[in-house]
Amino acid sequence: MIYCLFTIVFVISVYTARHYWFTLNRLFGVQRHPYIDTDTANWPQVTILVAAHNEEKVVANILSALMSVNYPSDRMLVVPVNDRSTDRTREIIDSFVEQFPGRIRPFHRTGGKGGKAAALKDAMELVETEAILIFDADYIPGSGLIKQLVAPFFDPEVGGVMGRVVPLNVGTNLLTRLLDLERSGGYQVDQQARMNLHLVPQHGGTVAGVRLSALREIGGWNENSLTEDTDLTYRLLLNGWQTVYQNRSECYEEVPENWPVRIRQIMRWAKGHNQALAAYGLYLLFGKHRATFRERIDGTLLLGVYAMAPVTLVGWLLALGVFYEGIVPLHGIIALFAFTAYAAVGNFAAFFEIAAAVRLDYTRRRICLLPFLVLGFAVSIFSVSRAFVSQVLAPITGAQFHWDKTERFRTTP
Amino acid sequence: MGQNRAFPDHAVNPAIATLVLILSAALLFVAPLLPAIVELRLKRDAQPLNVIQQYGGDIRHFAQGFRKIAVELHPQLQECVASSATAIGTLPDGDEYVLLGGAGESYLVAATKLDSTWRSVVAAGTDLALPDGLTFAKEIYAVGDLTGGERSTFRAILGDKDIHLQRGSKVIRWAHAARIFRADHDCDLFGRISADQEIQLQSGCVFQRMGAPMIVLGFSDTSASQSPSRSMNAAADATPAPAGRTLYDGDLEVRAGEVIPGSIVTRGKLHIGAGAHVLGSVKSNGHLTIDAGVSVDGSLLSATTTHVGPNCRIGGPVLAEQGVSIECGTHCGAADNPTTVAAPTIELEEGVVVFGSLWARNEGRVVPKA
Repeated sequence: MIYCLFTIVFVISVYTARHYWFTLNRLFGVQRHPYIDTDTANWPQVTILVAAHNEEKVVANILSALMSVNYPSDRMLVVPVNDRSTDRTREIIDSFVEQFPGRIRPFHRTGGKGGKAAALKDAMELVETEAILIFDADYIPGSGLIKQLVAPFFDPEVGGVMGRVVPLNVGTNLLTRLLDLERSGGYQVDQQARMNLHLVPQHGGTVAGVRLSALREIGGWNENSLTEDTDLTYRLLLNGWQTVYQNRSECYEEVPENWPVRIRQIMRWAKGHNQALAAYGLYLLFGKHRATFRERIDGTLLLGVYAMAPVTLVGWLLALGVFYEGIVPLHGIIALFAFTAYAAVGNFAAFFEIAAAVRLDYTRRRICLLPFLVLGFAVSIFSVSRAFVSQVLAPITGAQFHWDKTERFRTTP
Repeated sequence: MGQNRAFPDHAVNPAIATLVLILSAALLFVAPLLPAIVELRLKRDAQPLNVIQQYGGDIRHFAQGFRKIAVELHPQLQECVASSATAIGTLPDGDEYVLLGGAGESYLVAATKLDSTWRSVVAAGTDLALPDGLTFAKEIYAVGDLTGGERSTFRAILGDKDIHLQRGSKVIRWAHAARIFRADHDCDLFGRISADQEIQLQSGCVFQRMGAPMIVLGFSDTSASQSPSRSMNAAADATPAPAGRTLYDGDLEVRAGEVIPGSIVTRGKLHIGAGAHVLGSVKSNGHLTIDAGVSVDGSLLSATTTHVGPNCRIGGPVLAEQGVSIECGTHCGAADNPTTVAAPTIELEEGVVVFGSLWARNEGRVVPKA
C-alpha cells in the first residue's frame, strides 16, 4: 500500500513540476510565435469545415462572420457540415448558400454514424484543398483569423494548427466565470508553453486546421474516437507532423452555462482522452516512430491528464489507509516538511498557472474568483473519475460509447 | 486550556470556547472567499477578453485612419492652394493644424527659427520640400511629393505621391506613400512604413515593418525596378509542397545543382549547395544556409537562423525564429507572388528585392554590399 502511495505521490509531483515549469516559462521565457508575422503571401486555397448538429441558435453567426473575413474570397470555400440536424440548421445554411453563391458548399448529412469525427470524415469528399480549417458552429471568427490559421501551413513540418479559444458568455454565472479562468490557464499558459518549449501543443478540433496530405497519411479522421482532436494530435505526432499553437489567433466560443452540460462535456473529453491514452500511450513512450524524446515525455503526460483524477482519488484513499494502519512511511520530521511543502507549493500549481494567465491577459479583478476554482476542481475530479470507471467497466456492463452534443445557450440568432 | 490550568476554570466556558474556535476557523475559511463573492456579485471584470474582431493586421491601418482626417481638410486645403495662402485651425481632437497652400518651406523656416520642433499637424496642398533638422511632433500630410530635410524626425507621414527622406532622418510611428517611399542612407524607420508602389532604402537604414508591392534595398541599382521578376513557375502559386515532403532526423546537405522534387524538413542543420532547386518548401530546425543561386519555389523556414546567399530566388515566405541575413541579388517573392520576410532580426544587403512585407520585431538593417 505504501509503495502504491509513493508512486502516486511521485506522479502527482511530476505534474506539479510541469505546471510550474510551464507557468515560469510563460512569465519569463522566450515566447515563440513563428508564423504570426506572415501578413503578405500568395494565400492558398482553403476549405473551412463548420461542424453543425442542431445549431439553429448559432450557425448564422459563424456563417456571417466567415463571409466577412479578410481572406481572398476566391480562395476560400466554406463547407457547413450539417450532421443529421432536426431543427432549422439546414434551412439557415441553405439561405446563406443562396445569399453567397459559390462561396458556401453545404454538406447535409442525413444518416450514418453519430459524432463529429464521423461527420467530418464523410464531409471530406468535398475537400480538395491542402489547407483545411475546422470550426464548431458556436464560434465567431474575427477578420484576420483565417490568414493567421493558414499561415503555419507554409511550414512543411506542420500538420495541424490550433488557435486560442476565448469564452464569450463570461458574465452569465459562476460556472461561465470559472470556465473563463480555466480556458485562460489552458491556452494562455499551457498551450503556449508547450509551443515555446517544442513540446506537444494539442489540437482542439475547433479554431484549428489540418493539412490534407498529413491527414491522408495518418489515415483520415478516426470516427471511433470521442475526441477526434486528441486522436489527431497523436497520430500526427507519431508520423512526424507538428501541431502548432497560435496564441494570438483568438476566437470567441460559447461555454456551458449549467453544471449538467459541463459535466457531460468533461466526461466526454475524459473518455476520449483516455481512449487515446489506451491506444497510443505505450507506443508513444517506447515505440519506434518520429516523435522526439521531449515530445514522447510531454505527449505521455498530456495523455495522462484525465487519468490523474482517479489516480488522485486513489491516492487520497491510500493516504487515509496508511494513516489508520499506523504506517509511518518516513521519519516524522521529513514527512512533516514534505506535507508542508506540498501544501504550500503543490496544491496551488494549477491555481498559480491560472493566476499567471490572468495576468498575461491584462485582466485584473477576475483573479478574485480563484478560490472558487476549488469547486470546479472538485466537480471535475469526480466527473472525470466517474467517466474513467464507466469506461473501465464498459466491457462488463456492455455500455456503448456515445457522443453527447454540447447544448447551446445563445438567444440572439 | 482549562485542563492544563493556563486559565482558571471559571474564566472560560467550554461551550463558548468551542463556539469561538468554530467561528474563528469558519472566518479563516471564508476570508479568502470574500473578494470572490464581491466580484461574483458586482461583476466588475466579467467582460470577455477583448478580441479585436475587425482588425485584419493591415500595415496601412494607421495611415487609413489619418487619411479620414486629411480628406476632411481637403476643401480648405484647395482654397489655400488657389490663393497660395496659409491657414491654421483645430481638429476635433484638439490638435492644431496648419494648411500650406504654397511656399510651405519658407513658412516653416520662419516659424521654426527659435524652436526646431513643429508641434501642429501639417497638411500641404502641393509638393513640399522641408528644411534640414526639423522635428515634426504630429502627423504631416502632402498632396504632392514630400521631400524631408536631412536629419529630420517625423512622427508620421502620409503622402499622396512620393515621400523622400534624406540622410539621417527618422520616422517614429508610421509613413505611407501612395506611390514611392524612398529613404537615403542611415535613416531610422520605426513602426510601419508602406507604399502602394515601391519602397526604396539605402544602406544604413534601420527598419521594423515595411510593406509594398516591391521593396528595393540599395536603390542605386535600379535593375530590379526596371524588370520586376515574375513567379519562377506555376508551382509557386501552390503553397503546399507539390510532391510531398521528406523528414530528416539529423543534419542535411543538399548538393550543388541538385533538384529536390518536394519539400524537405530537417531536425538539425541544413545546407543547400549553390544552384540547387527545391520545388517545394524548406524547413530546418537548426541553422539554415543557402548558397548562391539557389531557387526555392515554396517557403523557407528556420527554427533558429537563416543565411541566404547571393542571387537566390525564394517563392514563399521566409521566416526564422532568431534571424535572417540575405545577400545581394536575391529576390523574395515576385511581382505576381507577394510574400513575407519575418524574423526578430533581419539583415539585408543592398541589391536584395522583397515583393511584399518585411517584418523585423527587434531590428531590420540594410547593409552595404560585401
